[in-house]
Amino acid sequence: MDDKSFAYRAKKASGIAMMLAFLAFAVLPILWVLILSLRPATALFEPIWESPTNLTFDNFRGIADSGFPRALLNSFLTAGIATILSMIVGVPAAFALAKSRLRGKFVASWVLLLLRMAPPVGFVIPLFLIYINAGLIDTYPGLIMAYMTLTLPLVVWSMWTTFAQIPNELIESALMDGASLAKALVLVVIPAARPGVVAAAILGFLIAWNDFFFALIITRGSTVTAPVSIMNFISSDSVDWGSIAVAAICVTLPIIPVMVIANRYIVQSLSGAVKG
Amino acid sequence: MKLTRRGTLSGMAATAAVLAAPMRVRAATGEINVMLFAQPYTQGLRNIAADFEKETGIRANVDVVGQDVFESRINLTFTGGTGEVDVVHVPAIQAQKWREASWIRPVDDYLDALTSRSDLLKGPMDSYLVAGQQWGVPFAAGVGMMAYRKDLLDRVGSGAPDTWADMLAVAKQIHSDDVAAVALRAAPGQGFNMFIFPMFMRAYGGKFFADYVGGDLTPAVNSPENLEALKIYIDLLNNYGPQGVGTFNFPEITASMQNGQVAMTIEGSGVVSLIIDPATSKYADQMGIAVPPGGPAGRSPAIAVHGMGIPASSRNPDGAARFISWATSTETVRKIALNEPFIDFVNGSLARDKDLVTKYGNIQPDLLNVRVAALEQTIGHYRPLLPNWDEIGAAIGENVNGALNGLYSPEDALEAAQDEMEMLASF
Repeated sequence: MDDKSFAYRAKKASGIAMMLAFLAFAVLPILWVLILSLRPATALFEPIWESPTNLTFDNFRGIADSGFPRALLNSFLTAGIATILSMIVGVPAAFALAKSRLRGKFVASWVLLLLRMAPPVGFVIPLFLIYINAGLIDTYPGLIMAYMTLTLPLVVWSMWTTFAQIPNELIESALMDGASLAKALVLVVIPAARPGVVAAAILGFLIAWNDFFFALIITRGSTVTAPVSIMNFISSDSVDWGSIAVAAICVTLPIIPVMVIANRYIVQSLSGAVKG
Repeated sequence: MKLTRRGTLSGMAATAAVLAAPMRVRAATGEINVMLFAQPYTQGLRNIAADFEKETGIRANVDVVGQDVFESRINLTFTGGTGEVDVVHVPAIQAQKWREASWIRPVDDYLDALTSRSDLLKGPMDSYLVAGQQWGVPFAAGVGMMAYRKDLLDRVGSGAPDTWADMLAVAKQIHSDDVAAVALRAAPGQGFNMFIFPMFMRAYGGKFFADYVGGDLTPAVNSPENLEALKIYIDLLNNYGPQGVGTFNFPEITASMQNGQVAMTIEGSGVVSLIIDPATSKYADQMGIAVPPGGPAGRSPAIAVHGMGIPASSRNPDGAARFISWATSTETVRKIALNEPFIDFVNGSLARDKDLVTKYGNIQPDLLNVRVAALEQTIGHYRPLLPNWDEIGAAIGENVNGALNGLYSPEDALEAAQDEMEMLASF
């Protein structure tokens, strides 16, 4: 019994040790960035234990006075609107693809998948030239449309599989009760597929929020987003590590509460919460 | 709240109006778009761009971005011939390539109208003189300078080393586990280790081509002089440099000098000004500055000239020329040098400006004088002004870095660089 107990405790201890190691691996870089953000320029690379009280909010003040808050707002605005528009267009599209007997669904699924697989760098030059001629460079609509090339296929693809799990009987009973197809979608199907809807929206938002490439090409001074704006702290003479650390925190922080709230839905969605 | 069709449409129209606002601004007349990459001067210029509008009535949208962002955007703008940029940042090292690709236009017609034409130093101006035409107007010249810990060198009875051999001798005496003797740019790249290594080459009489000035562009990088230079560069860094110096670039050097982990470096004047600034450096009061060391063939401090040009596709070249004239005027540059940590100006009279002398004298009494002394010893073609220098510089830089990191012997590295130069020259 003692041996078994010892083996059990040893196993548990090694499990905890492994977890702590993984935790340290995940958390230490974040902690490091946090410390960097609070250190004055003269102590940026000094070990924290050598001068633990040498902290300042100057980097935060510097960021507040720079163009970065505007870039952060641009990121919120463009990623948010692109996600909302993708949901408005993509959810009904996915519903139609999942539940109707359309011809060419197989082709549609492949087209969507190809859109997801195509690397943006492959079509950036034609996109850029079209945008220049259409006057869409450095505009919010231009950036939102570009983001929708990323978010819309994701929404349609993920919602398609979610809706496919909804039993047809549920929709038929709503229709028999006199609901239109649109009403059945909004009042019956979407609530039943809520975890999938939330997960698609969150993942769409994160893809747009983290985008660097489109923003690099399409934005200029007015609509520049946070990920590109961080690069502006690197000049040919210096790297403003303190500001970069603060900016990294600003880009990461808003995502954390969203992920905590949405975590349950994402897990449910991935494990197939909608049962027949 | 009940949604009505009219309310929904009004809301959508209002949202569209807000979202399209930047587009309307761009569509307005009397505007120019300026694209620059981040440096103290360009950031200062953006901060006072409203002054230009007040003076001329032309609105200047000054976009200052990181260098990597700049390069991606400007390559697309140029290759697409979009006309969206009217004034562009032109590093002198790129001027030939951009000229040959017809991406920029000559500015000769606008030179007489430059507000401070006579005050701009001849050397930096000539960096943009190609085939008898001027392709840009300089605003900054970063020059190689030495920063060193006076306290550590004093301890061994040495001042700033005069030659690379002296530097090696001092390094042997001051190197310790706590403080490495020397750090230099080692990361491969025409703007990285190839900003530094030509200072060694030229000090030992080495060169890139048989006779660059005379027009003989036969590669000559595998010469005994260059080999001697490479050996001392490797000796300094591998034996007296900090751990990991084989990949060091200017950010690592700045940080290690500011934190007292390294005793000597040679860097661009912009970086040196950060290393000796009490606001950013823990050891500022111990720092001395000097012109970079030389060798048997003399001294050739590194130089990097930056300026502004007009893209060939600009839709408003006259407005662009007025902006360049304003931006390089002594009055504007003086204002920027007072507002920002900017010592790399190319307006000659500013080195004697009382307010600037006071400002930078407070950081380091000799700062402006040493910079001028170094600038006077530079040569315009420190890095050859060739359209394909990017590729050539990168090839040599890779091999120099390979030798430093022990991948090949110095002899093999230079032979490989020579072969690659010959191959590139054949295109």
